[in-house]
Amino acid sequence: MSGGGVSPLPREARPYQGQRAGLVTRLVAAAIDGAVVGLVLLGGYLALAGLLFLVDPRSFTFPDTHLIVSLASGFVVLVVYLTISWRVSGRTYGCLVMGLRVVGPRGQNMRLVGSLVRALFCAVFPVGLLWIAVSRANRSVQDTVLRTSVVYDWQPRGAPGHPTPPDGT
Amino acid sequence: MTQVALRPPLVPQPLHPERWLGRLGREGADRRLSIRRELSRRLDVLVPAVLTEVLRRAHLTEMLVRYVDLDTVVAAVDLDAAAARLDVDDVVRRVDVDAVVDRVAVDSVVDRVDVGAVVRRVDVDSVLDRIDLTAVVLGRVDLDAVLDAVLNRIDLTSVVLERVDLDALVQAVLARIDLVALAEEVIDAVDLPEIIRESTGSMASDTVRGARMQGIAADEAVGRAVDRLLLRRGRRTTQAPGAGLSPEQPEKTPIPAQTDRTR
Repeated sequence: MSGGGVSPLPREARPYQGQRAGLVTRLVAAAIDGAVVGLVLLGGYLALAGLLFLVDPRSFTFPDTHLIVSLASGFVVLVVYLTISWRVSGRTYGCLVMGLRVVGPRGQNMRLVGSLVRALFCAVFPVGLLWIAVSRANRSVQDTVLRTSVVYDWQPRGAPGHPTPPDGT
Repeated sequence: MTQVALRPPLVPQPLHPERWLGRLGREGADRRLSIRRELSRRLDVLVPAVLTEVLRRAHLTEMLVRYVDLDTVVAAVDLDAAAARLDVDDVVRRVDVDAVVDRVAVDSVVDRVDVGAVVRRVDVDSVLDRIDLTAVVLGRVDLDAVLDAVLNRIDLTSVVLERVDLDALVQAVLARIDLVALAEEVIDAVDLPEIIRESTGSMASDTVRGARMQGIAADEAVGRAVDRLLLRRGRRTTQAPGAGLSPEQPEKTPIPAQTDRTR
């Protein structure tokens, strides 16, 4: 606690802060993110339907969704969502709920290109997450290749005791 | 002539005067011996008793002092030779010093000593130079008892109030203490964040906290299980570079399987 103020964290959680998260926590966070993407897609679909209804109410039918289009939409939404979340705060909503943060090779916040590459990698090869169970450093395939880490970080951004990342953001 | 007298001719040999004279001589010798023994036995009894009575009445010491020239006697004694024959160590070994000391009237001896004169002749400075006074005091003085006695005699509160500049003292103490760090230690010791969380936290934040802790516990369990399956030894190295968020991280404690969310 010296110099960094009083930690608002529960005492039992403090030893784990800054450690790479394990498989279960990250799977739960990924599931929450998947649900968020699903909700966004559903919202988009409903918005599109509402727009079509407003344009031509008499001949309105719910628009057909081709599998390819749905997958492509989901892919794009997922990549954009992950990229923006990691770049802005280092956390997606799932990470926020589970107290995780994505950091770069030296513990700094992710940059835009790094976030985008990692988001693409995760969207293309989500099974790489399972490598965490095997890795002695709790790293997924994406983390191993891109030298990123996903750590336990329960501190809200800007809270006392939260170190400023090396890139200053 | 004597031969004839002792062994007269024509007289049978058993009747020779030599025979009965010899027998008479032997009996006389036996008689003398028994008389001497009897006399010695009686003297053994008689002489000590008589001598005791004589000495008791004669005041021998007085007579010795009066009639004997002791100086001449002592001068005739070779004291050096006597001392040379004396085994002093043996004598000292046989002396019961404690008994001797017990019989000495130390108080009367001390009364006769002029301590002031003795002290005046002592070179106190040289004595003090040779003594490690600090070690002596620490080893032999009951400092606690001394301190207690001193403190009992003085009113420490009034002494401090009169003689100590309390303002300066407080300023010096405050200058040395890192009040912020002290406050943080106190807050950490009472776990103030936990108290605040308990007083203001919602059910949702408790749920999230419980889910996170259970997630961490599950992570560790899965990691251990996989490591055991892969026959790995040692712990995983999960510390991320530059991501240490708690400057003073306490030891990890086992996480209970079910976090109490109702707190």
